[in-house]
Amino acid sequence: MTELAIIARGLRKQYGTVIAVDGIDLAVPAGTIYALLGPNGAGKTTTINMLTTLAVPTAGEASVCGYDVVRQADRVRACIGVTFQDIVLDADLTGREVLDIHGRLYRQPAAVRRQRIAELVDLVQLGEAIDRRVRTYSGGMKRRLELARGLMTDPRALFLDEPTQGLDPQNRVGIWSYIRTLNRERGLTLLLTTHYMDEAEALASRVGIVDRGRLVAEGTPGDLAASLGADVIRVRGSGDQAHFVSHVAALPFVARVETDPEAAMVLVYVDSGSRRLVEVVGLASGNGFVVEDVTVSRPGLGDVFLHHTGRALRD
Amino acid sequence: MDATLVIWNKHMTKFLRSTEELLGLLLQSVLWVVLFGVGMRSMIGEVDGSDYMSYILPGIIALSALGGAVGGGMVLLDERLRGILKEYLAAPIPRLSILLGSATSTATKALFQALIMLVVGVLMGARLAPNPLGWLVSLLLLALFAVGFSGMALAVAAVSRSIAGYHGMIFLFNLPLLFASNALYPLAVLPGWMLTIVLLNPTTYLIDAVRGLAFGAPFTLPLPLSVAVVTLFAIVCTWLALGVFRRSIRG
Repeated sequence: MTELAIIARGLRKQYGTVIAVDGIDLAVPAGTIYALLGPNGAGKTTTINMLTTLAVPTAGEASVCGYDVVRQADRVRACIGVTFQDIVLDADLTGREVLDIHGRLYRQPAAVRRQRIAELVDLVQLGEAIDRRVRTYSGGMKRRLELARGLMTDPRALFLDEPTQGLDPQNRVGIWSYIRTLNRERGLTLLLTTHYMDEAEALASRVGIVDRGRLVAEGTPGDLAASLGADVIRVRGSGDQAHFVSHVAALPFVARVETDPEAAMVLVYVDSGSRRLVEVVGLASGNGFVVEDVTVSRPGLGDVFLHHTGRALRD
Repeated sequence: MDATLVIWNKHMTKFLRSTEELLGLLLQSVLWVVLFGVGMRSMIGEVDGSDYMSYILPGIIALSALGGAVGGGMVLLDERLRGILKEYLAAPIPRLSILLGSATSTATKALFQALIMLVVGVLMGARLAPNPLGWLVSLLLLALFAVGFSGMALAVAAVSRSIAGYHGMIFLFNLPLLFASNALYPLAVLPGWMLTIVLLNPTTYLIDAVRGLAFGAPFTLPLPLSVAVVTLFAIVCTWLALGVFRRSIRG
């Protein structure tokens, strides 16, 4: 059995009467990338806060790098790196000072700090900017600096809370490539949260779908999607959806039918999209449902989310 | 201990870089000593045998120490509101060092501001007593007072929800502590009810001690009592800050 870097059992956090996390179980093997995918407010950040010792669980237990997050909090802190959801940087310090102060907090010797900073500036491509005040940085540079800070102490596990929130596509792809490099070349374990489906799909070896404080589904992105059906035919239209749905569901090759009311969309999971398309769409015409748009694709994590929660996950 | 030093060091770096904060400090001293002090002096010649500038300088210094403490509390508040505190909390450092780092940087700033005021005051004609030991004890008392106010400011900073809220709460202390003290007028002229309030204010004891020690004015309160009150004030406020801070970081 592979070593587990992050374990959680029945993790729960309650603030007053609000249950932010309602019993989450995790088992993340060392050297893998795990993504917690879910909408804002699902409990992802609270989960990360408990795993990184910032919040004490109301119930349940968790361990990181083999240490208990409550009883051995300092050991956990020493072996992890964290980046937070909001950008958390001192604008009046230079990038180099931010990294250096971080290293000093962890008691890294000066020589080690110098060397680490040189390596990290290279990795996240901050170049000359490392000696400029953080207030002159763009959003993407700030994120890269934070990533470098999270890596400064050479952690065994890195926690990234919404690592690309608010970034433009180019910077997002950049961050993704650093994350992949770290995982591949150093065998770093990463746990990240995201509400972007493409991010989870692009990075994660395993995805946990979180909704209302619970883990509603878990698996590799491929398995999760494949469990719904081989292909999905998305039919957007107006009129009597219910009638159309019941007719389509009766077809022998249809695995399941789901609706996304907000987008006026019917999702039909079938064994082969291109072969069944005509028959499915044909059912609409006679049933008071006017088709406006049809697409065929493989199911994605968004469809998995809809399947498990009954709601669509929107960016 | 290391982490305390790192945090102190970082706060001082940020402080020395923020030109607004430094300019504000200088401007404050100009306002108080140069304008208020000089203006009042031309109206009031002497109080208890001291010229008025020497008389009010200890009070102004105490007030500026308070201003420094408010500025120091702002740093903790700012780091808290912007989430920078989370970087410390996720690090393997004692929680206490976060508060100690902030408290020492706050007290340093308060002392720094007090010194500026002292220098400006002396330049404007306040006369120091030729008593170096007295100066030293005065500085020590001032440092204790600064620690006390830092504690108070940090306790408020640890729970404030916004910068405006923090300033609102701090403002409640600021002017009352000045007016309800012997900073601007001698104890002897106060009516009984006001004297009671003034004697509950630790600022009064600091000012009386500093006046006697550094400016050669007669003590109106016993010096050991003043030293005890200021020390107690520092201890109680630090303890308060610690309690409030501990509670505020409990996740």
